[in-house]
Amino acid sequence: MPLLYPLILAAVLFGIGVYGVLARRNAVLMLLGVELMLNAVNLNLVAFDAWLEDEIHTGQSLTLFTIAIAAAEIGLGLAIILALFRAVRTIDVDQVGAES
Amino acid sequence: MTKWAYSGITAVLAVVVAIWAIPDLGDKYFGYFAPLNDGTSPPMPDLSPDLFLFPVSAQIVLLTVGVGLLVQIYSTAYLGHHPRYRSYALIIILFLLAMIAVVGTTNLWVLLVGWEVMGLCSYLLIGHEWETAEARAGAAKAFLMTRIADLGLVLAILVIGETYGTYDLLGAELVASDGGAENSTAIGLLVLVAVVGKSAQFPLHSWLPDAMPGPTPITALIHAATMVAAGVYLAARMFPLYRDSELVLVALAVIAGITMLIGALFALVQADLKRALAWSTVSQLALMFAAISAGDPEAGTDHLIAHGAFKALLFLGCGCLMHTVGSSALSAMGGLRKAMPVTFVSMTIGFAALAGLAPTVGFFTKDSVLEALKHSADGDGTLPASVGQVLFYVALATTFVTAVYAARLWLIAFFGEPKEGHEAPRAMLLPVVLLAVATFALSIGQPFHLGFGLVSTGIAVLATAVVVYAWSNRGELDIDAPLLTRELDLDTPYTRWIPAITREAARLVVVVDRDGVDAYSDGGASGAQLTSRALEIVQSRNVQRYATVMTLGVIALVVAGVIWT
Amino acid sequence: MITTALSIPFGLGLLLLVFRNTVSGRVAALLGSAAMAASLVLYALVWEGRSVRVSGEVDTSWIEPLGARLHLGVTYVSWPFLLMTAVLGLLCCVWLIAEDTSPALVGLVLIISASALGVFSSLDLLLFFVFFELALIPMWFVIAWWGDPHDPEGRRRAATRFLLFTVTGSALLLVGIVWVASPFGSLQILDIKGAALGAAVLIVLGFAVKTPLVPLHTWLPDAHSKAPTVGSVLLAGVFLKLGTYGLILLGAQMLPEEFAKIAPYVATAGVVGIVWSALACYAQDDLKRLIAYSSIGHMGFVALAISTMSDVGLAAAVFGSVAHGLITGLLFFASGSIKDRLGTASMAAIGRGLYARTPWLAVAFVFGAVASLGLPGLAGFWGELLSLRAAYEVGDVLSKPGAWTLVGFAVLGIALTTAYFVRAIRLIAQGEAVPHEGDRDLNRREALVMSVLAVGIVALGVAPGPLVGLYDGPNFQGSYEAVTP
Repeated sequence: MPLLYPLILAAVLFGIGVYGVLARRNAVLMLLGVELMLNAVNLNLVAFDAWLEDEIHTGQSLTLFTIAIAAAEIGLGLAIILALFRAVRTIDVDQVGAES
Repeated sequence: MTKWAYSGITAVLAVVVAIWAIPDLGDKYFGYFAPLNDGTSPPMPDLSPDLFLFPVSAQIVLLTVGVGLLVQIYSTAYLGHHPRYRSYALIIILFLLAMIAVVGTTNLWVLLVGWEVMGLCSYLLIGHEWETAEARAGAAKAFLMTRIADLGLVLAILVIGETYGTYDLLGAELVASDGGAENSTAIGLLVLVAVVGKSAQFPLHSWLPDAMPGPTPITALIHAATMVAAGVYLAARMFPLYRDSELVLVALAVIAGITMLIGALFALVQADLKRALAWSTVSQLALMFAAISAGDPEAGTDHLIAHGAFKALLFLGCGCLMHTVGSSALSAMGGLRKAMPVTFVSMTIGFAALAGLAPTVGFFTKDSVLEALKHSADGDGTLPASVGQVLFYVALATTFVTAVYAARLWLIAFFGEPKEGHEAPRAMLLPVVLLAVATFALSIGQPFHLGFGLVSTGIAVLATAVVVYAWSNRGELDIDAPLLTRELDLDTPYTRWIPAITREAARLVVVVDRDGVDAYSDGGASGAQLTSRALEIVQSRNVQRYATVMTLGVIALVVAGVIWT
Repeated sequence: MITTALSIPFGLGLLLLVFRNTVSGRVAALLGSAAMAASLVLYALVWEGRSVRVSGEVDTSWIEPLGARLHLGVTYVSWPFLLMTAVLGLLCCVWLIAEDTSPALVGLVLIISASALGVFSSLDLLLFFVFFELALIPMWFVIAWWGDPHDPEGRRRAATRFLLFTVTGSALLLVGIVWVASPFGSLQILDIKGAALGAAVLIVLGFAVKTPLVPLHTWLPDAHSKAPTVGSVLLAGVFLKLGTYGLILLGAQMLPEEFAKIAPYVATAGVVGIVWSALACYAQDDLKRLIAYSSIGHMGFVALAISTMSDVGLAAAVFGSVAHGLITGLLFFASGSIKDRLGTASMAAIGRGLYARTPWLAVAFVFGAVASLGLPGLAGFWGELLSLRAAYEVGDVLSKPGAWTLVGFAVLGIALTTAYFVRAIRLIAQGEAVPHEGDRDLNRREALVMSVLAVGIVALGVAPGPLVGLYDGPNFQGSYEAVTP
């Protein structure tokens, strides 16, 4: 399989993620955008790892780190959003910014 | 009696000056150190006294302290009750010292200091009754007019210094009389500005009559012994420096001719004795300047001294009249001959001297002036003959008008319906009597010109006869000449135009200062504000917008990097 | 000796600021007076005569990599400035000996005076600039905190305006200094000769703001009228002199060739300022503003004198600066007393007849006014006169028609000066008295301060010789011989 396919897929995923972070006002969806970007990076890492035939598989191990961090991050992020929602009864970032 | 202390100080001053000046009354030779004009710049100014008296200077300082002492004595009675007597008496002493500085030094800077301190003293003394608006206005006018003219003297001294390399008057005159006179037109014109202001000559003549709200003894002092006398003295003293310039002499002659005639005519129509006497001073000073312009400064200064004596007499006598009737208006006087015999006799002598009747000193010195003018008219003087001739006839006409107004004032003040009154206190009468004596005594040794004596006596007698005739026929001497009563409106520029122009210019400057000059600082401030407004738009406090900008930036950078590498 | 003279007021000033809550105002002012007196005596003693180029020189290393040295000394130009500054600082401290004085104000006054003394004694460009700046911030506090108590908004505004104007000027000055020093490779003022024209322009512009020259003067009336009495005195007496001294030292003396090209503009700006400020004075109602504007005129004479670049011009500039310090100091002390009493400096609100209401205060004001309008025999005259003479002699820099035109306008300015002071005297000193509950004549402290200044003004006026003699250049050779007619 040529390298191009996973790279295009990663770029598309990353673009969707960026769009989500920049354009959505819903905090949960912004968090999802961040996750998409992370996973696009993961995809890149794995693709290059395979393409370079790295003997110690740095790409794959780094991906495992990223997945772990992403899991921690999503947990923390959702907790913050939950706390935010309890405090101001909304998760629309513009409204939160306007009220604070 | 502390008020006598000031008279005492003045007396001491007078004695010291007498001891100093009397030996210098005669002609004398002198040894003197004068710097040479070697093209270097003059020395830095200093105020070393450099006392030196010419015979004529000695006469003038004696006159100054004499009149000053008499004025102090007179004031103890005239103004002794005044709450501000102390400052009044002390300023008189400063005034006298300033006049002595002008006359008794050869250092031009000392002369200048005295000259301007006199202006300040007259400002303070004219404005002595500063509660009244007239006194404030008169004092301000006197100070402003004379000080603006004084700037002429400042510049004249600078030019003298640069021309002769010294600020020593004697030194400069020695070089000048040695045939080395230079820049005489510039020096002469600047000196002319100074003396025209100080001695109240046309066109800066109007401050002197307006200074009449000052106390009468001060008027006597200013008119007789200080201030206006300094102008004549300076013009005579600096004569060697500008004698070569025909332009200056003609200008001086023209000014003198105009002033003597209008002064006398204005004096003729006044309804106020003091103001009439003030105009008479203006006219008499012009006569002295005429003599100087005709090339005979001696005649001018002789008449100055004679005038000092009889004008002080007239003003102090006027003060006695005011003391009795409470006003200087002629309408308040009349018929005081019987009630105030001493004042009457003394002032009669004074008026006779003013009119130029023998054997008062005014007769002799006025004839000397006329003699000098006649010389000039014949082409023997420093003036061109045509100018000299005009000046001579103007002077004769002035002599006639002078005698007319002297007789008019005399008749209105003392004749007519007898009035109740009382003689002034002795401290006021004594100076008046002494001055009356002096008016005769100064005649001793004066040159006598038989021809002119007859002519001028004829003119004076004729004028007096005309007035007495009119008086006995009409019973009153009011002259109806509205143009002259308004003093030809010559004062309008000073009372209307110049203040208005200055005020408008000042207003304009303030507006421009606030709205114009400040434009760059205000512009800088609003520019900074506008810039910060513009930059504030970017600062939206919206993190997503920041992230968008950052992303776009990254994309732009990557694209740029791809394209240009 | 100079370092001691500088560090005493500096140190005491800082101590007073730190311990402002533990000492009383009266004690602070007494200490301050003692410090300034000590400084004055030291500066008077440090002088070694006209023939010594730099008296009491101190020259040690400071910032080696920049070539900046701790180079202090007294020259024949700076000595009169130093003595005048010390005297004014001393009088300001004496003025503050009162119950309601704030110790911090005394501290700031000391720091301002010491900074000015530092400027006048610096012979290193960087040191000069540091002292020059050091005086600014304390002055901002003096105006903004202790200024006109009836107008907190206005005094803050005036203080900031003052600060912005002068800091802008300083920025230009700093660029100019760097521009001069970096090609030359030295910061020593007495060594530097020649620089780029642009550098000279920047330096002159920087000082022109401080002097101030028209049209850079608009900060001055606001600052002077809103500042407290001592602030006004220091501003007019000392701060403006930083500008004129800078023009003399860093302009005319350090960069003569470059300054010669700028001199005609400086002279024109000065003379325009004379006439301009006189007209502005004529329309003022606020007494302190009037005096502030009159300062611009006097500084115009000094600028005219400096731009002739002759010995006479130098004498005129120094004399004019010193005389202005004393005279304007007296005027500001007098008007400050009036403002303290009546709560306003507006001539309409002060009312007429001060001669009758507060005789000695009125006399002090009138004396100051008469000295300021240049009466011969008082200090103000000689500066103006020598300035006129310097311009009349033209010198090597100006052109004859130009210089003589300037003389004409300067003379017009003198006439207008007389007019506005006579107007002011007429409005407040003379006239039917309208008593006010605040009318009190001078107390002993005020009388002492004003009489010291008055004596100084008379002394300089009657005997200008000692001061003028400092600048009687070596090129003067008068020759005298006996004449017997």
